[in-house]
Amino acid sequence: MTVANTRFFAQGNVYLPHIAVIEKIIEETPGVRTYHFNLKDEKLRKEFTFESGQFAQYSVLGTGEAPFCISSSPTRRDHLEFAVQKVGRVTNALHRLGVGAEIGFRGPYGSSFPLDFLKGKNLVFVGGGIGLAPLRSLIWNVIDNRDIYNKVDIVYGARTPADLCFKYDLEAWDKDKTVKMVTTVDREAEGWTGKVGVVPKILEEVAPSAKEAVAIVCGPPIMIRFTFPVLEKLGFKPEQMLTTLEKRMKCGIGKCGRCNIGNIYVCKDGPVFSYTQIKDFVSSEY
Amino acid sequence: MVNKKVSKKDIAKLLEQWGQQFIVFAPSRESGVAAFAEWDGKDTGFLDWYRNTVVPPKASFLPPMEEMFHFQKGEEGYSIEPSAGEENKRLLFGVRPCDARAMAIVDMTFKDAYEDPYYLSKRKNALLVGMGCTNPCESCFCTSMGVSPAESADVDLMFTDIGDEFLIEEVTDRGKELIAKTKGLKEMNKGDEAKAKQSKKTAYDRVTRKLDTEGIKDRLLASFDDQEYWEKVAAKCISCGICTLLCPTCYCFDINDELVKQEGTRFRSWDSCGFPLYSKMPMENPRQEKWRRVRQKVCHKYEFYPMTFNVIACTGCGRCIRLCPVNWDITRVIESVPNKTGVKK
Repeated sequence: MTVANTRFFAQGNVYLPHIAVIEKIIEETPGVRTYHFNLKDEKLRKEFTFESGQFAQYSVLGTGEAPFCISSSPTRRDHLEFAVQKVGRVTNALHRLGVGAEIGFRGPYGSSFPLDFLKGKNLVFVGGGIGLAPLRSLIWNVIDNRDIYNKVDIVYGARTPADLCFKYDLEAWDKDKTVKMVTTVDREAEGWTGKVGVVPKILEEVAPSAKEAVAIVCGPPIMIRFTFPVLEKLGFKPEQMLTTLEKRMKCGIGKCGRCNIGNIYVCKDGPVFSYTQIKDFVSSEY
Repeated sequence: MVNKKVSKKDIAKLLEQWGQQFIVFAPSRESGVAAFAEWDGKDTGFLDWYRNTVVPPKASFLPPMEEMFHFQKGEEGYSIEPSAGEENKRLLFGVRPCDARAMAIVDMTFKDAYEDPYYLSKRKNALLVGMGCTNPCESCFCTSMGVSPAESADVDLMFTDIGDEFLIEEVTDRGKELIAKTKGLKEMNKGDEAKAKQSKKTAYDRVTRKLDTEGIKDRLLASFDDQEYWEKVAAKCISCGICTLLCPTCYCFDINDELVKQEGTRFRSWDSCGFPLYSKMPMENPRQEKWRRVRQKVCHKYEFYPMTFNVIACTGCGRCIRLCPVNWDITRVIESVPNKTGVKK
């Protein structure tokens, strides 16, 4: 059962946001932006901690609130980051904000990637589109503590080259000799020299060994659904597959009801899950 | 422990006395629908018409709509002010055992992991005075759900109808303290206990609808992917949401902002897993089809809640049966879940 982290409540009330200030905006793709931000309260800014994989609730006050993972790594703490695809009411409002704008922030919430379990293992990151956001928090975390993990494989894809997020990260990881990086797009595109094909298919080609390995998967639901069977074929057992899921959320703390998959709440019991936890329901509820 | 009683004709005096310490809520039809409402200081007519309220008492703790905080944009940026909590002590008079049990079930969610300050501040300040049923409805099936229509451990005081009087049972210490301070109560006679026993038995026997929930959690788990079954179950549902909105154990809510010029309010309001928008994300909706939503409603109560809290989130109050415009019947649904567990019943 989840134990609440009450340390960072605003005014002692879990539903009240803190005020945060946007410091930098990066256009990742047409429609996806990364926001660098900091909490307005200096004391809280220093004290605030989170773990890779956790999410927070972000408000455009007057429009509403939506959950996004903290996409930066806890090992790099001069600011926090989150990435937003412009798809709904709150995300559109976020995209209208500029540097210096104030947003509401409450969190961190939910489970994180189990670093102790990943220690010494070969890590296989499988990401699609903006699904790289939570993975990159962990990837940078791993790179910043490179000695305690074994091999690192990254298979990342998007529909077109223009849809690849975090291109500066992709370049950095491509250059990193300790990381094996494969990038793919769904269809042939002019000037594209990487792989062509959907992520599950390319993962099957790359065929990372399941031995002493853990796969960490995040992407659109359809990619997640097709990736698990490929991993199983490669010999990965359910407990060797981790994912982080996304659902419509309102409260973020296991009360409002809507983000459940079976008896599990994505907000409270997740968003990071092992496939063991969700395999009974994931085929028809995600 | 039963030790006091009160005449039905003295209920107004009793509530008046309690009204000096508490804001008293009692069943009322003032709004046009039977619900708990602030007692008007005189009317005890509900003692005659009251079987159960249409709106369950959860509405006193999780209102249909509730302000969470206010925000304002000034020169220094945004400031946020939480809505004033409920500081007044409230007393709900006449809560039925099914609904009292339902409150205990909802408490589990609002206490779990993160405490919900809005719900719990009201709940902790409130005293529940239960009243046993004498005339349960045809749709009631509380006795199959571990609830007696005339007994409750989930209230502070329990009233039992013995004709012209109510016996008063002290269930909690808070209830006991209140009775110790209450004037004008009568001591019970030797014969009263026997009368109460008979009254409880009569009520119990009048609940004729039965539901066998043996192994239901596992049967539902085994039938989760049986689309054909769920489509059949959901066929006549019109997704109006009434069975969830007025269910005493349903607690789902939505959160929204309202903005007038630079001043705004964040509020929450009842929501229902019966509505397609409930789980809709911009790119997809895991419960677009009606049968998935009906499955969620049934499984949440009879499978997921037992998995998490070891209790079925249904107390057999029968509201979802009484109020459904198309006569959807949860007891028929639960009985018809295919037995794919391999365990013989």
